[in-house]
Amino acid sequence: MNGEEMCGCPGSKMQDFRKDTKGGEEEGGTRQSQLRQWPIQLHLVSPQAPYYQKADVLLSADCVAFSVGDFHKDYLKGKSIAIACPKLDEGQDVYIEKIKSFIDDAKINTLTVMTMQVPCCAGLVAMARQALQSAKRKIPIKSIVVSLQGDVLSEDWV
Amino acid sequence: MEKYLNVSIKEIIGKFPEVGRILEEYKIGCVPCTLGSCLLKDVVGIHNLPADQEAQLLYRIEKAIYPKRNVKRPEGKALTCKAPVGNIKYSPPIKRLVDEHIVIKQWLELIPSVLEEIDIESEAGMRWISDSLDFVRFYADKFHHAKEEDILFGYTDKNLDIIKTILRDHETARGHVKATSEAVKSKDKEAIVQHLSAYKDLLKEHIKKEDEILYPWIDRGLSTRQVGELFAKFDEAEARIDKGMIEQCEKFAHEAEEKVRKIKKRRQQNEW
Repeated sequence: MNGEEMCGCPGSKMQDFRKDTKGGEEEGGTRQSQLRQWPIQLHLVSPQAPYYQKADVLLSADCVAFSVGDFHKDYLKGKSIAIACPKLDEGQDVYIEKIKSFIDDAKINTLTVMTMQVPCCAGLVAMARQALQSAKRKIPIKSIVVSLQGDVLSEDWV
Repeated sequence: MEKYLNVSIKEIIGKFPEVGRILEEYKIGCVPCTLGSCLLKDVVGIHNLPADQEAQLLYRIEKAIYPKRNVKRPEGKALTCKAPVGNIKYSPPIKRLVDEHIVIKQWLELIPSVLEEIDIESEAGMRWISDSLDFVRFYADKFHHAKEEDILFGYTDKNLDIIKTILRDHETARGHVKATSEAVKSKDKEAIVQHLSAYKDLLKEHIKKEDEILYPWIDRGLSTRQVGELFAKFDEAEARIDKGMIEQCEKFAHEAEEKVRKIKKRRQQNEW
């Protein structure tokens, strides 16, 4: 292990996947987007929006959709979404209040939190837990952690 | 082999007892099952064994049924490999039911010790039986079994043998409670002991069946949407129930656990 590896933040450490990335066979046709709303950034969305009412909501770290090849088909389909970065975004206390409002006001059915495996990403799950703790309603929360190359590492109800 | 895949497990174990022993090795507890009407193919499928272990299990069952047949041995790990026993992860609504089982088991554990020395002529003895019957009727049946029957099983096919077996257990348990209640009225100590003991044996096996087989199987079939729905429906059902009674029952079960500890300690001291 060299000095750079020891001191670098895993979230911003440079890694080159070009040799590992399997392109696979060229796929024909086009795939339908499963996004059913706009906006999606957590600061911009409103829990009052109709697509959040009683919905299954996906709270995804920004990087997840770029990492998981079948993000739309396997994780976004049938859900309303909000995205955030627990490392770089400011005003995270507003995030907690907003997630709490999803639970209490929009009366969402479930919350699935998708994060990358890097340590700083766990902050998003912590925010969801904190919001749930302070909310009046209780709902099931699922945490899905994906690797930098898009494999699902764990999928657990928290 | 196709023929036997569609035969009830009780009939197969009756004809080929070795099959029962093999199933036990894989932690599939069909031998003590009261009904045994599940088909062999469902028994194997519902336990969700890893593919290599399922192939080995079927190979061994086929060899037990047809010892002379030249059955192709599956490739993979050792044939004696047992099913892994790890921590089962439940979805939040199912976990609630598992937690309720823990409360019920606290009380079940106390039954043998109490029955050994119960005095039905004493006020304390009769109070314990009466409190126990209240606990069973309210907590185990009205609070817990009702959530399964009225809500959870709606997410399954109620005609499946595993569900029929579970429902039959509930009915048998209710029968023991009724019989215990009647025995209390007639002060028939033997019948009280007999029915409470039978209730305890039935429920212990029943809970194990649900925790290890039924619930994980139902959980595997639930979508995220259904998990949320189930959670909300349990909330609604619990909101209709007297919270004070639930707390009282949980306290009663917790005290039962304390009593078991004290009885065991006292008996150990007496042995010394």
